Amino acid sequence: MKKPSIRDILYEPPGPKAQRRIRITTAAALLLIAGLVFLIIRQFAETGQLNARYWAFFGRGTTWRFLGEGLLSTVEAAVTGALISFAAGFVLMRGRLNRFPVIRFLSAAVIEFTRGVPTLLFIYFFFLAVPRMGWALSSFWKITLPCAVSACGVVAEALRSGVNAVPKGQREAALSLGFGEIRLFYKIIFPQAFRFVIPSLIAELVIVLKDTTFASVVSYADLMQNAKVLISNYDAMLSVYLVVAAIYILINCLLNKLSEYLARRMDRAAERGAA
Amino acid sequence: MTDNNVPVIDVRHADKHFGKLHVLRDISLSVNRGEVVVIIGPSGSGKSTLCRTINRLETIDSGEILIEGVPIPPEGKKLAAMRSRIGMVFQSFNLFAHMTILENVVAAPRSVLRRNKKEAREEALRLLERVGVADQKDKVPAQLSGGQQQRAAIARALAMRPKAMLFDEPTSALDPEMIGEVLTVMTELAADGMTMLIVTHEMNFARRVADRIVFMDEGAIVEENTPKEFFECPRSRRARDFLSSLRDR
Ligand SMILES: Nc1ncnc2c1ncn2[C@@H]1O[C@H](COP(=O)(O)OP(=O)(O)OP(=O)(O)O)[C@@H](O)[C@H]1O
Ligand SMILES: [Mg+2]
Repeated sequence: MKKPSIRDILYEPPGPKAQRRIRITTAAALLLIAGLVFLIIRQFAETGQLNARYWAFFGRGTTWRFLGEGLLSTVEAAVTGALISFAAGFVLMRGRLNRFPVIRFLSAAVIEFTRGVPTLLFIYFFFLAVPRMGWALSSFWKITLPCAVSACGVVAEALRSGVNAVPKGQREAALSLGFGEIRLFYKIIFPQAFRFVIPSLIAELVIVLKDTTFASVVSYADLMQNAKVLISNYDAMLSVYLVVAAIYILINCLLNKLSEYLARRMDRAAERGAA
Repeated sequence: MTDNNVPVIDVRHADKHFGKLHVLRDISLSVNRGEVVVIIGPSGSGKSTLCRTINRLETIDSGEILIEGVPIPPEGKKLAAMRSRIGMVFQSFNLFAHMTILENVVAAPRSVLRRNKKEAREEALRLLERVGVADQKDKVPAQLSGGQQQRAAIARALAMRPKAMLFDEPTSALDPEMIGEVLTVMTELAADGMTMLIVTHEMNFARRVADRIVFMDEGAIVEENTPKEFFECPRSRRARDFLSSLRDR
């Protein structure tokens, strides 16, 4: 009873002709990519970007320790921000589905507001306005809170779509057994909804992670900020940006793998005892 | 409250509209303790709707519905408590998809009735045994056949020790070879004295287990009769037409 993958659903298995066509297009694409990479490297070489002085400092432990510290700060801010946004998003989702119209309206307003305003504006708000209102925030919170606020509306909507995706019959069955609204939600509806939204939540974590690159605005020493320090120290912009971009891509790939892993584990949990 | 003269289910002059559609027209129907009443009628005649109003999954516009002589409370804890005393079995089973079969049966006794874990588990196992799916207890619903799922759903409803059971076309979503196993469980339940209100298209089954047949058409009860008379010489013309349309198929 293995579930078919999306590919199995969308396409039939390729026949011999199709297989040859797939091989040819793959080869052509690889050639094209190789050509592009070659052109880029040649451009680098001609403009002197491959010069050893732009790359040599990556051989030093201190460089990596410095980037590692930045990475750690980035991860701390992103994870904290994401967790706060998940919690706030959950509250907003509950509000959006509340039986009192006023609460529904207010929640919808907050959701729309946080989804509509760019993260950078929230960062300026926490950086410039909040301290003037008398709250002294550390630079960690000055980046974490705005990222969380910016994400919570999206999280709320993702959770809500998950709740709406649970078949109506589940609710009716629970009602007919005497479940009250609260237990019905936490025991029957939400556990099912949560499985649907794991991929969206991880996608949102990636967005929060990328938003934390604004941290230099509030001088929080994240990966991006430390990269900038390296750039000015060694006067090496391109090489540092390339390495840092690679690190961000790597993390996001890992998160995507995590998302796939969780989805698969849920499927397997759902097939417990199949053998 | 165990007065045997008070009907378990008592619907009085119930009316209901879906927008302009008049789905229930002045329905009065009572089911006594231990009685098995079968509702039959053409598609769209309001059978499901009537069944669902008794659990207040649908509200009625006017009239009243009493359970053991008490009107169904409109909301809150009292309504939930009332619902917990009426078992309901759905056409599409509606087992909780994220729980194992055993968890499905234990969930409501634990969460709603706050029963002791060990006792709830033991009773659940007994019920699963009774409906013949005890060996499937650790699987999730999606791994079971339709017939097994429906039998598990019956066990889940029985775990609340209901005063009456409502069945809304419990075999309509099943492959033909699985219908029998579900009907067998229901027949046993009837023989054990369970009060039952059943919507079904299984005429042979209806004839065998029903104490009374209720024939509905266009939202109204057209005829109430004993199974023997209903199937052999129905009083109403519409019931006659309905039955002959079934035979022609
Ligand atoms: N939620 C709803 N909103 C609007 N109309 C509805 C709704 N539920 C049912 N109806 C309509 O009410 C009428 C009665 O429906 P009901 O499901 O009670 O019929 P039924 O006798 O159970 O039919 P079937 O044998 O097909 O199950 C139908 O015309 C149906 O389309
Ligand atoms: Mg129906």
